[in-house]
Amino acid sequence: MIAFRDIFITGLLLGGIFALVSVGLTLQYGVARVLNVAHGEFIMVGAFMTFWLLGSANLNPLLSVAITGPVAFIMGFILHKTLFRRLMDTSPSLDIFEGKSLLASFGLLYVVQNLARIIWGSDVEGYNFLNSTVTAAQIPLNRLVALAFVVVLGGAFYFFLARTRLGKAIRASAQSPTTAELMGVDIRNVLAICFGLGLGLAAIAGSLLSTLFAIQTSIGLGYTVIAMVVVVMGGLGSITGAMIGGIILGLVSSTVTFFHPSLTMIAYYVIFIVLLLARPKGIMGK
Amino acid sequence: MLEINGLSASYGNVQVLWDVCLRVDEGEFVALVGANGAGKTTLLNAVSGVMKPGSGSVTFMGHRIDGSAPNAIVNLGLSHIPESRQVFTEMSVRENLEMGAYPSRAWKSRRETMKKVFGLFPRLEERAGQLARSLSGGEQQMLALGRGLMSLPKMCMIDEPSNGLAPLIVTEIFEILKSLHKEGITILLVEQNVRQTLAIADRAYVLENGHNALDGACCDLAESEHVRKAYLGH
Ligand SMILES: Nc1ncnc2c1ncn2[C@@H]1O[C@H](COP(=O)(O)OP(=O)(O)OP(=O)(O)O)[C@@H](O)[C@H]1O
Ligand SMILES: [Mg+2]
Repeated sequence: MIAFRDIFITGLLLGGIFALVSVGLTLQYGVARVLNVAHGEFIMVGAFMTFWLLGSANLNPLLSVAITGPVAFIMGFILHKTLFRRLMDTSPSLDIFEGKSLLASFGLLYVVQNLARIIWGSDVEGYNFLNSTVTAAQIPLNRLVALAFVVVLGGAFYFFLARTRLGKAIRASAQSPTTAELMGVDIRNVLAICFGLGLGLAAIAGSLLSTLFAIQTSIGLGYTVIAMVVVVMGGLGSITGAMIGGIILGLVSSTVTFFHPSLTMIAYYVIFIVLLLARPKGIMGK
Repeated sequence: MLEINGLSASYGNVQVLWDVCLRVDEGEFVALVGANGAGKTTLLNAVSGVMKPGSGSVTFMGHRIDGSAPNAIVNLGLSHIPESRQVFTEMSVRENLEMGAYPSRAWKSRRETMKKVFGLFPRLEERAGQLARSLSGGEQQMLALGRGLMSLPKMCMIDEPSNGLAPLIVTEIFEILKSLHKEGITILLVEQNVRQTLAIADRAYVLENGHNALDGACCDLAESEHVRKAYLGH
């Protein structure tokens, strides 16, 4: 029983983190049309920034998201305003832009990863954070705290998209950028904001992951793959789908890892394929 | 109010508008008619900034707007209600209307504006919480019109609101256009439904293969040999 509960709590936490990562990728792909293969690199950057802020300024890892998120947001905003905006303006069609931006994001992947390696090296790093267990239970305290944190963050982000003027503009732009423009939305800004939000969510997820697992400058790509699986599973472009898909994959991950860690990646793909056979357009696809 | 001079536009290498001129004065109800593929939608897109015109000028209330971004143009008070409704299907009716009020000057008063829109389209109020996807074609067109009014426009360009709708609903929509015009909104209406359009507009332009073919008062055009043969079927 206790094992089940632990699997469940860890699964929810991982799922929440996957959801943040995948919603971030959805904003970049579904709205800004950039299939950002460098997404996971910003998870790594977030994790290392948190690690570094803890070491140099003794900043609480959970509070560090107040720095890692905004810093990554600004990086994404500037990247879009310079690199991706230029590609968009010089592409005759959206399909050509998608191709070009995919290649550009591969470039970004190598640049970010190598810069990180220069700054932080390629060793496995880690730290202890609230590792005391909760009474009779075996769940380390950090998991519960991080879980509460993810729930609050996810809820706040959902509220932002559902209720605020900018959030609605983002959802409208995801459905039809041209019509959103006709409504008076400054699409150039909204796309850059979406790209920035995507990286911000990735970095926040990275900060949280660093409280749970050891980190290394090479961890990014694995998370990019997970996020892509979740995004397709949820239904391309669907934010709710990305949230649900992330949580499912998190639960699968913690369950399979408990029984047989080396099967985790295989389990992702089995779930992925089964879900797509049952619902070809994804959980929330139409 | 709106003045289009010598406007040309192309998709890639294919030119579809040639030297088109069109004028709408304040308070007028002007129609733009023409066959499928004549370039009517392209013209509206070039005016509202969705598409960059190749050459020529567009002036709205004294501002040069050719080459401006759509959000700047709607801010000036020119609302483009696009072809085939284009409602945000995954958002509720109320959210669609809110999106219409996106320009800052309209956002503040969105609640009052929405009340007025609901007065015009009571059916939208009944369905305010429903996803736009679940509306019928006629209701979606009403939503598109209502959404276009939420930006508090001085002028509306409306692209084929009757397309695909039952005759009874078409009549209802035309009645609403008339009442909008009475309330002081300047209208440029694109339609294929030539007979009903000539009956409610003041003046009309006929576009053929991307060129100005005819224009004049609707009553004169309805009598013209060419219009009767080509567009009224007798
Ligand atoms: N996105 C596009 N790319 C290439 N060509 C286009 C595009 N949109 C329209 N065209 C072409 O431009 C011409 C004018 O099209 P447009 O949609 O402006 O006509 P329309 O008068 O609005 O027709 P309809 O009454 O059918 O809506 C047509 O020949 C059409 O095939
Ligand atoms: Mg058209």
